Amino acid sequence: MLSSQTSPSRATIPPKLASVLQVTPMALVFLALVIVPLGLIFVVSFLDYNFAQVFPELYLETWVDVLTSDLTLALYLKTFKFLVIVWAITAPLGFAIAYFLAFHLRSNWLRTLLVTAIAIPFWTSGPIRMVSWVPLLGREGVVNQTLMGAGLIDEPLGWLMYSEFAVLVAYVQMLTMPMIATALNSMAKIPPSVIQAARDAGASEWQIVRDIIFPLVRPGLAIGTIIVTTAIMGDVVMVKFMGGSQVNTVGMSIITDLNAFMYPPAAAKSILLLIVVLSIVVSLLRFADIRKELRS
Amino acid sequence: MTKSDLPATKTPPRRRGLSRRGLLKSGAAAAAASAFPAPMLWAQNIKDVTITHLGQSYSTIPEIEAKANEDLGFTVDMQTAPDPTTHVNRLLTQPKSVHVTDMPNTNLKYFTGRGVLMPVNVSEYKYWDQTLSLFTKGTYPDGTEASKQGMAPIKAQYWADENAQEYSLTPTDYLVGVPLYYNADTLGIRPDLIGRPIESWAELLNPEFSGRVALQDGVSIGVADAAMALEAMGEITYGDKGNMTREEIDKTIDVLTALKREGHFRSFWTNFDQSVQLMASGEVLLQSMWSPAVTEVRTRGIDCTYKGMKEGYRGWYIMMSAMNHLEGLERDCAIEYMNWMNSGWAGAFISRQGFYNSVPENVKPFMTENEWGYWYEGQPATEDILNPYGKVMEKAGVSRDGGSIWERMGNIGIWNTVMDEDRYLVRRWQDFIAA
Amino acid sequence: MSTRKRPLSFYLLAGLTTVFLVYVYAPMACLYILSFQGPEGGMSFPMVGWSTHWFQTLFSGEGQGLGDVPGAFQRSIRLAACTAVLTLVISVTAGLAYRRKFPGSGAVFYAAIASMVLPGIFVGFGIALMFNLLGWQVNWFTSGIGAQLTWTLPFGLLIMFIVLGRFRSSYEEAAVDLGASASQRFRWVILPIILPGVIGIAMAGLTSSYEETARTSLNVGMGNTMPMEVMGLLNAAATPVLFAIGTLTTLISFSLIILSLVVMTQLAKRRSMRTNA
Repeated sequence: MLSSQTSPSRATIPPKLASVLQVTPMALVFLALVIVPLGLIFVVSFLDYNFAQVFPELYLETWVDVLTSDLTLALYLKTFKFLVIVWAITAPLGFAIAYFLAFHLRSNWLRTLLVTAIAIPFWTSGPIRMVSWVPLLGREGVVNQTLMGAGLIDEPLGWLMYSEFAVLVAYVQMLTMPMIATALNSMAKIPPSVIQAARDAGASEWQIVRDIIFPLVRPGLAIGTIIVTTAIMGDVVMVKFMGGSQVNTVGMSIITDLNAFMYPPAAAKSILLLIVVLSIVVSLLRFADIRKELRS
Repeated sequence: MTKSDLPATKTPPRRRGLSRRGLLKSGAAAAAASAFPAPMLWAQNIKDVTITHLGQSYSTIPEIEAKANEDLGFTVDMQTAPDPTTHVNRLLTQPKSVHVTDMPNTNLKYFTGRGVLMPVNVSEYKYWDQTLSLFTKGTYPDGTEASKQGMAPIKAQYWADENAQEYSLTPTDYLVGVPLYYNADTLGIRPDLIGRPIESWAELLNPEFSGRVALQDGVSIGVADAAMALEAMGEITYGDKGNMTREEIDKTIDVLTALKREGHFRSFWTNFDQSVQLMASGEVLLQSMWSPAVTEVRTRGIDCTYKGMKEGYRGWYIMMSAMNHLEGLERDCAIEYMNWMNSGWAGAFISRQGFYNSVPENVKPFMTENEWGYWYEGQPATEDILNPYGKVMEKAGVSRDGGSIWERMGNIGIWNTVMDEDRYLVRRWQDFIAA
Repeated sequence: MSTRKRPLSFYLLAGLTTVFLVYVYAPMACLYILSFQGPEGGMSFPMVGWSTHWFQTLFSGEGQGLGDVPGAFQRSIRLAACTAVLTLVISVTAGLAYRRKFPGSGAVFYAAIASMVLPGIFVGFGIALMFNLLGWQVNWFTSGIGAQLTWTLPFGLLIMFIVLGRFRSSYEEAAVDLGASASQRFRWVILPIILPGVIGIAMAGLTSSYEETARTSLNVGMGNTMPMEVMGLLNAAATPVLFAIGTLTTLISFSLIILSLVVMTQLAKRRSMRTNA
């Protein structure tokens, strides 16, 4: 394949400069509204504080506590546990459903309808969506009523709602969608002729999925994984509501600090969180460099 | 940037003579506007003024906004903060985007030394003499001193001086704000599911109700409730449970952590609706609640009582303050609006939701005898009690749980609080939630 | 493969997809049903009669638990429209830049990831604080849109990566060889190929702006947005009006998605006709 850098260009602007110019608006937004505030957060994390005030005095205890306490370890273990479980469910599930939509459905119309149906709940107001779990999973909710009606249980299951289980249920509901979307996008790029050729050569469906489709869908799954990772690591709304404020994760802990107007520990925890997530993303990109894909 | 105190917004240089000018201008203008038929000039000038009132959903009620706009010559624009945190952060980081605000007493701890709130001169507020002594002096009507455990009203009612930097425990001429509503909170219970009387806060931590109890989320109130229970159980003796020492905090968190590990708490509720859901669905048998939430459960035909415990109630109040950046006409209108809030109509509206107003004698003419008797005097209702939206909330013959205003407000065990050791408490609360 | 008999895997996967849809829609169904709660009913089962009372309350604009929903809706739509347009323009241009290697590409990419990762309230707080330190007033048009862009742009960029991944640079090279100018190439070669993705970015920008509270709430200044109002309402006496809002939102988003899909299929058709011709 040809690379655009080697092709003769008649544009008056050198390609690299063109790229820099094109990315400038986005870079400016991030610089002014993310990097600068991030700098503020970084400074704040080293300062002394009390009662919604931050004093301009160096106070390292915050970082010592964040980096050495059992609390931090417990928070990350809990958050990673959620991440691993949710990823292990949403990635195969998203891949399977995307595969079904891309290669099994014959009707374009039906495919469009299903994709829409999967996307819709994503677009309903977050707080309302959270509230709507209660009539389903609550002690008097539909699920408990059904199970009791069927004689399967004698008394309502308490752990369906306001528990780690409930948090997982909400995560999987929300985060399968980006996995499906990104996988589906990658699958749509695969020319049907490639699949046809493999089939003609006698490859089984499983072989085709494993040897042709999966490698080509990897960058899509990588983007999906980035979305899932950032969503879970940074989540404060779902875990708070579904966990009944009783499950402490990294995000939850930051929100508890902020709700008590303790800015420096929230700042230090946010920066640590950022470093952890960026490391995860860097290693993911080693697995599938999505930017390199663009330039091939 | 690094050397300024960051979220602590810079204290603006004191505007010398503010109070003198304010007094001259607004005192005269307000008197002219209220005591006499409003002069045309005043009416012409204020009609373009818009006062933005930032509050939370319990205070930014559209009906009250509409009535204010009808009664006052300027525009009142209410804005609901999505949550208490955003509310305070908005006032601290963007004070100029707000004119008037109302806040729970606990938030006032964050406003000393900030220069964000405006001192209101006693002479500018028309109803200070009619305001209950609980707010003006920190005493009950019979002259006895009210509980000072936690953020009692008197602890943040007066500025020490016109610079409005520190609170004063003794009366001065500078009000932090105008007290609006207050109430005595207690445990809401489901008598139908419990089947025996509940008389002590100790029941909140009774193993009998393991897994069927909720705490209010948020450190200051959750811990205050737990402290009431632990003291009632004789588990811990506090010097001042509204302002614990580190050792007391440690002991409290240890006991709570052990209970949480045993699955004692069903959930922590964050907002009104969650507390109603938990109670109405039977998830929870007893929890600390707000009065209107109990009423909401009851209007669904579910039995829920809200009786006082023998250790007393947990008290709270809402204060309305103006922002310090206001000048001239805007300042005058803000003061006028604060006066209007306690002139009776709005107080009666809020009283029908189960709260009390700080100037009851203004409220009385706006309520029927039946309503006044039911809500303030603890009398049995002579006819159905309607909520502010005209829906029946109590049938005739029923009287209010806990009785009259002073049977309830006169028996406060602790006020909602933010402790001096808040930083340590929040850190330990983190351990508790992670357990 | 369209004429062959369906393999077993088809039925298994069809079953899985169905189960997934039931799972996704179960709470949504509760929401839709409860929005038709009777006037005396609350926010959970049982249903106390059936009515359109809560929709009427919503449209009449007055009643308990409604707050300033109509005003908030207008403000949100206005904000979402502006954010969507900016997201579209900025993401598409930035995405095009990534077709080549250029200095700073990594920095911008990781800034985007950082923007996604940082807790929203903190980004919002940082922006509000910065405005305060600079002595600027927050306003929906400046800090409001800015705060929302920190949330929508990373998604816009990621979508562009997916879209351009499908784009074969050989098309563009062919155009260059034929003597097309940069603007001609964009207009006639790049745009038609990436257009469906571009519409996707606009839709994503629109909906995520409409949804966002954490970053927005401190930065819109006077006047709440829709999700802020809903969250505020949840703090007090909430009524099934909230579910009515949810049901309506679903209807509106459904129509919007269908509309944009129709547009996209039309475009795809036109393109395939052109390439076939």
